[in-house]
Amino acid sequence: MALDLDAEQLDRYSRHIIMDDVGPEGQAALLDSSVLVVGAGGLGAPVLQYLAAAGVGHIGIADDDVVELSNLQRQVIHGNDDVGRPKVDSAEEFIAALNPDVDVDTYETRVTQDNAESLIEGYDVIVDASDNFPTRFLLNDACMLADKPLSHGAVYKFEGQATTLTGGPCYRCLFPEAPPEGTIPNCAEAGVLGVLPGTIGAIQATEVIKLILDEGDTLEGRLLAYDAGGMSFDFVPIAPNPECPVCGDQPHIDSVTEGEYAGACTLGD
Amino acid sequence: MRWKLFATLSETVGDNVLEVSVDAEEPTLRDAFDALLAAHPELESQVLDEEGALQDHLRLLCDGEDPFHSAEGWETDLGDVEELAMFPPVTGG
Repeated sequence: MALDLDAEQLDRYSRHIIMDDVGPEGQAALLDSSVLVVGAGGLGAPVLQYLAAAGVGHIGIADDDVVELSNLQRQVIHGNDDVGRPKVDSAEEFIAALNPDVDVDTYETRVTQDNAESLIEGYDVIVDASDNFPTRFLLNDACMLADKPLSHGAVYKFEGQATTLTGGPCYRCLFPEAPPEGTIPNCAEAGVLGVLPGTIGAIQATEVIKLILDEGDTLEGRLLAYDAGGMSFDFVPIAPNPECPVCGDQPHIDSVTEGEYAGACTLGD
Repeated sequence: MRWKLFATLSETVGDNVLEVSVDAEEPTLRDAFDALLAAHPELESQVLDEEGALQDHLRLLCDGEDPFHSAEGWETDLGDVEELAMFPPVTGG
């Protein structure tokens, strides 16, 4: 592993380097790592901020949206002047201004059944900071099949959920199928406390950094359920489901290019 | 029995912690679930599918454990259980 941190890096990352649990080796691992963040919105903003600040050397950003004024109540990497611009462009500029050590690749696209496999290929860790069930199930399946660790985060009004998936149990072990369409509203439909995705996104960034450092205990095998209203943290165990269609004993999903991810995300047997 | 509900479920009943008495001598998870729906029929359309079974996307917990994995599922004896919980997934980002 390259330990050739230059003088500026030794200064920039000094609070990491001074820690036994990170040190120059851990910082070098961060600089050598690559993370794909799917979604540059409420969750993606803090994820990108903290991964870039930490010196994750290669960050990919996938998002097909443009910045809207109503995003700025929570999507803290975008500014007033970015309204109308692609979120990936605004996010890339934010990172460039924060840390020149980070190489950024942008993908102004939705993650689809056709591009999911090629998008995640080449990245060490994937972050689901998306805002819809079809993308979440697609990323879960693609990451399980490609054996890529996936950080999951999602928010609703005052409540958030986060977990870390590393080859099983997976998101489908807990929630085999998405709710019927229209059952669980997204932020645009239901609203969201602006700071909530900041909390959940910061937890996702924490998990990614721990995975890269191989340090600490992640949320593997448990879903964190955070309620900002009651300021309470609950954990839901995620047991491996032998009947899971993607990571069970006899999985029948062997590619994400087949099956149906739109609507209710039901996959045919 | 104390029930803790999350996200859309707590919104529907207007509270995230409910006390629901269960009228059975040795109550099971099924008894407590039926009592919850009897006390809050407004939940029914949200938690039951067309066949009257629990929606696939909802998870139940007994004192933080999945009774369908670590206990007897619907027949789980609630003798020592203090809190039940019901979760939907959320998806905003």
